[in-house]
Amino acid sequence: MKKTTKPAAAPAKAPKAAAKPKVAFFDFASCEGCQLQITNLGELLLDVLGAIDVVEFREAISEKWDKDYDVVFIEGSIADHHAEERIKKIRARAKVLIAYGACATIGGVNGMKNSFELDEIRASVYGKDFKLFDSTKTKPVDQVVKVDYYIHGCPVYAPEILEVVKHALRGLPYTVPDNPVCAECKLNENVCMYERGLACLGPWTKAGCNSWCVNNGNICYGCRGEVSNPAKNANDVISKYNLKPELIKAKFDMYNKCKEGAK
Amino acid sequence: MNYHILEKENLDGFIKKLAKKMKVCAPVAKGHNNFAFEEVTSAAEIALNYIPTILPPKKYFMPQREKMLDFDISEGKPKDTATLEAPETAIFGVHTCDLAGIQCLNMVFSERPRDYNYLLRKEKMFIIGLECMAYCDGSASCALVGNHFPNGGYDLFFTDLGEKFIIHVNTQKGEEFVESIGLPKATAADMAALDKAREAKKAAFQNEIGVDAKKLPEIFAKAMESKVWHDVGARCVSCGNCTNVCPTCYCFDMADNVNLDMKTGTRNRTWDSCQFETFAAVAGGENFREERAHRQRHRLYRKFKYPLDKFYRSFCTGCGRCTRTCMAKINLKDTLKALAAEHK
Repeated sequence: MKKTTKPAAAPAKAPKAAAKPKVAFFDFASCEGCQLQITNLGELLLDVLGAIDVVEFREAISEKWDKDYDVVFIEGSIADHHAEERIKKIRARAKVLIAYGACATIGGVNGMKNSFELDEIRASVYGKDFKLFDSTKTKPVDQVVKVDYYIHGCPVYAPEILEVVKHALRGLPYTVPDNPVCAECKLNENVCMYERGLACLGPWTKAGCNSWCVNNGNICYGCRGEVSNPAKNANDVISKYNLKPELIKAKFDMYNKCKEGAK
Repeated sequence: MNYHILEKENLDGFIKKLAKKMKVCAPVAKGHNNFAFEEVTSAAEIALNYIPTILPPKKYFMPQREKMLDFDISEGKPKDTATLEAPETAIFGVHTCDLAGIQCLNMVFSERPRDYNYLLRKEKMFIIGLECMAYCDGSASCALVGNHFPNGGYDLFFTDLGEKFIIHVNTQKGEEFVESIGLPKATAADMAALDKAREAKKAAFQNEIGVDAKKLPEIFAKAMESKVWHDVGARCVSCGNCTNVCPTCYCFDMADNVNLDMKTGTRNRTWDSCQFETFAAVAGGENFREERAHRQRHRLYRKFKYPLDKFYRSFCTGCGRCTRTCMAKINLKDTLKALAAEHK
């Protein structure tokens, strides 16, 4: 079994009533929608706050923290030199680092930048003085620093946030399911998107979201990243459903372009 | 012989009377020629002419996700309480392939150690079969395994005789319900009509692969190293659709879920699939079925070989779901034909 997460080398100690783990939230290149997902946990958020001590969370509180962190949540991808330096400094102060949201875990939609020559795309965004604006190829967090836990998704899926938090609090590894989304989609007895005449990335994308999108009438966009051993030969799928291979490739590139930068 | 008659126009009354006593589930159209067993309260919601549902009725016997127990470790000795939600449920319109599937699972879960969640749920089921008078589609292979005719496993069994259903009453529970709503007994003419319909079926349903089912165990006994598995494996997506939709696949995974208080939690089981790469992976990184070819081979051996050795029964019910649902057009009938051709 290929594990996509590793146990934390120095897991946060079990929380004592008086000393709850100090937790901070940071964002990089992202829409900050995953932070919003956390604040949207509703009553569950109160339970989470009973178990942790949030010391920094730009979207929710104004306090800052100058000591080490037990757990940091990182949202967003690393897309310029300044961000690389900043994430390294945060990592140095954090016992456990959790990458959450597609931008942080796999690069996400920011990775579409990597489909172009860097200077070309910079010029298109910033105009002729683009060199004044720092920019690098987009990287998910783990292409810069070590990541202890992954919460995939665009946005993150609330039940999985809780699962990962609970694993992190206990110092246990969290294993992201390495089966395709179809595995959960079938249990939910959805009519297959392909039967509806739509190309869906479920067969190649990691499960764990409980086929959230398909349950709500949408295709899978592949936001959780590819399974570690995807089917290499999709000819039968392509011929059965009369698909255009370039279309499937373009759909993959929407979230998964940064895969090519992985070492 | 205990047969009763229900005029088709009275089907709605039948369903409504049943729904007053218990939850009633029946095939419902989901669009795009897909069907699913869902709760209904009237006959109008039911798709009487349906191809096998996305998931077989096994979902009522062993739910996709099931809580087994609640636990609490806040005091010295851990406490646990087994839980079971098993409402009285009627499943209406079960085809003979799916009745066979339930019979297979009954055998599996009755073996020691017995699976009490399954067996207690089974006691709450009121199963009403519905005969297929013609093939649902070309994916089915029910005649190959002899499941195109009813062979028990139901409380009541409906056969369409045009204007009316003739109902075979197979259990005390079935008898009591039929008596309680006052359905008339079938006449000699009705019985003759049933015989005639069954006779017509003999011509309509023929062995779908042209290979005697009795030969299959021998074919499989020698097919361990067949090239067919490599062909199938090269195409497989490992999505697990084929096992999730199979009426006789019952593998599950069990996991504890601890609450945020880190003291209480639940133990849950979820359907698992031998087609997943992680299924046969063990501690230390060894994987007993790392290749897709070996996983596909295992799946079919679990239908056509191992259960015959153990239960003297094919665990393929011929419903055709695995063929219909396969993303990569892996076709059960073609696979069997290829294995048989190689055997010659």
